Amino acid sequence: MPKTVAPSYQSKVRKPDDFDAFWDDVMREANAVPLEPELVPDPLRSSEDIEVFHAFYTSIDRLRVAAWYCRPARRAARTPAIVLLPGYQMDPPIPKEWARKGYASLSVAPRGKLRSNRQFNPGYPNLLTHNMVDRHTYAYRGFYVDTWRSVDFLLSRPEVDAARIGVTGSSQGGGLTITTAAMRPEVRAAAAGAPYLCGFTDAVELTHTYPYEEINDYLRLHPEHRAQVEETLAYFDGISFADRISCPVIVNIGLQDNVCPPETGFALFDRIGSADKRLYPYDGHGHDAGRAKHSAVVDQFFARHLLGKEVSR
Amino acid sequence: MTEPTSAAVREFWKGTLETLARYPARPEIELLPLRSTPFARLFGVRLTSLGPYRLFGYLSIPTGAGPFPTIYYAPKYQSVLEIIPQGTANLQRSRYVTFALAGRGQRNADTPYAAMFPGLFTDGIETPASYVFRGIAADSVRGLEYLLTRPEVDPSRVVVAGNDLALITAALAAGATHVVTTPALFYKTAALAPKTQAYPLEELNDYVRAYPARAEAARHTLAYWDLLGFAPGVTASTLLMAGAPGTLLDVAALQPLAAALRGSVTVYESQQSLYKDGLQSERWMAAQCRIEDVQSILPQRWRE
Repeated sequence: MPKTVAPSYQSKVRKPDDFDAFWDDVMREANAVPLEPELVPDPLRSSEDIEVFHAFYTSIDRLRVAAWYCRPARRAARTPAIVLLPGYQMDPPIPKEWARKGYASLSVAPRGKLRSNRQFNPGYPNLLTHNMVDRHTYAYRGFYVDTWRSVDFLLSRPEVDAARIGVTGSSQGGGLTITTAAMRPEVRAAAAGAPYLCGFTDAVELTHTYPYEEINDYLRLHPEHRAQVEETLAYFDGISFADRISCPVIVNIGLQDNVCPPETGFALFDRIGSADKRLYPYDGHGHDAGRAKHSAVVDQFFARHLLGKEVSR
Repeated sequence: MTEPTSAAVREFWKGTLETLARYPARPEIELLPLRSTPFARLFGVRLTSLGPYRLFGYLSIPTGAGPFPTIYYAPKYQSVLEIIPQGTANLQRSRYVTFALAGRGQRNADTPYAAMFPGLFTDGIETPASYVFRGIAADSVRGLEYLLTRPEVDPSRVVVAGNDLALITAALAAGATHVVTTPALFYKTAALAPKTQAYPLEELNDYVRAYPARAEAARHTLAYWDLLGFAPGVTASTLLMAGAPGTLLDVAALQPLAAALRGSVTVYESQQSLYKDGLQSERWMAAQCRIEDVQSILPQRWRE
């Protein structure tokens, strides 16, 4: 049997004293940029029941962000909405499945992803360590804002019910779910799977797999930058954001996760500020974090909080 | 339009490989210090393939005296090229030569052609000659050909790993001694796609819905890529990774494929756990390559 998670594990993540001030400044800068939302129908991907669009909006640094937007062809005047956030290496999917469940759904390609990489493209591997010595230019500064602005995009849509917006994703999408729920009070429910970007400095000691290994690669070549790297990452760590979350939130982790160590999932969950939170640890599972079983839990969670009904599968 | 005959399929691939052979690989290799470690050096490799088209791959070579067992990671269906698959212990590179290739359209091999995901699966599907996967299959063959020229590679222990392209490559090119394949795109595609709404097979459904007049031509093209046609050409020992029971590509669905492979076959049924499925694959490759201490190259979280 593989090793179990040490219950005494203590995360090294410490929230910087000026964390809120840093992100308030970033948000002020972002909010000064006009959103310029745009929808372009995609007849190739649309069908009788689902309308599919290429979506675009402008983010901080005036960077144009692409996304996929799907909505049920037959819908109420005001429809609940889901933001789907992508994994580190994955190509953002067309979220038809969510639209079939009754949600307007937006699948975001933050900067550097395919379709959003004309102005910014550090590549993979590389994104994780791009300008990692400086929080003001670190890749994830803009990347995070791109995901937070997705909520503004949904709020610009007349068919979206602003009081019923949820956010979800797994791996990097799980980490981004945490930061988005923390920074956007309009988010009413959040489901984070196998959250990445949480406990960076813990993870690089607990695992030697990519993508976190990118940080170890960087520090092996540039050991003199360690203090700056650790300083920067504290501003971007999902654990530092977690106490700002106030909406209902569920988190699922795999106890044999070889990408995002479960210790970091426990540490994150402990710091989440919401009183309505629940952790689903799956023994015998890796970075899938029990997805095959847990997807029904996620469906029920959003149905309860956004559709206002209980569902069973 | 009728199904192509076996002879037509054979002739198509023979012609493709002959065309590929007209283009010398002209490899360029460059050390990448950022990704090199005390136990392995990493190189970026550029190669010419059919087209001509310039490709890119990550070649990792263990420190010490070789030759070494080798894993060739055939092109995946995603834009990102990984050095080794996400979640694999970096220490895998201490024991195996690894080579991961970006097929045309993937990152680092995306000029002049940048693939879209979704989109790649039906690009040029109107005819076998125009289908983008003709070039991608040739790319994958070219990658294996290059790898086998490396003196660090032990030719008696060469695993080709990936999805459909792993099996296709092992059938089209000599040199694979072992295959780990997880079919996803090219097994009875035209029949199975209508049974799912999940991408990437949904790309075919989108295409057929948008262009019904081209549906028959797409089905005809896909017949040239069907894994059942390639299976008799695979003599390598194969680990066939099937889906969980009831899924589109479960053990029952893949049984004809398993039966058609000429080498020894181990069929594994997914436990819907990346841990259990990944552990099976790592152990199988290590056993086949006579690596006794597989524990030392597993992710920490998986070690006993």
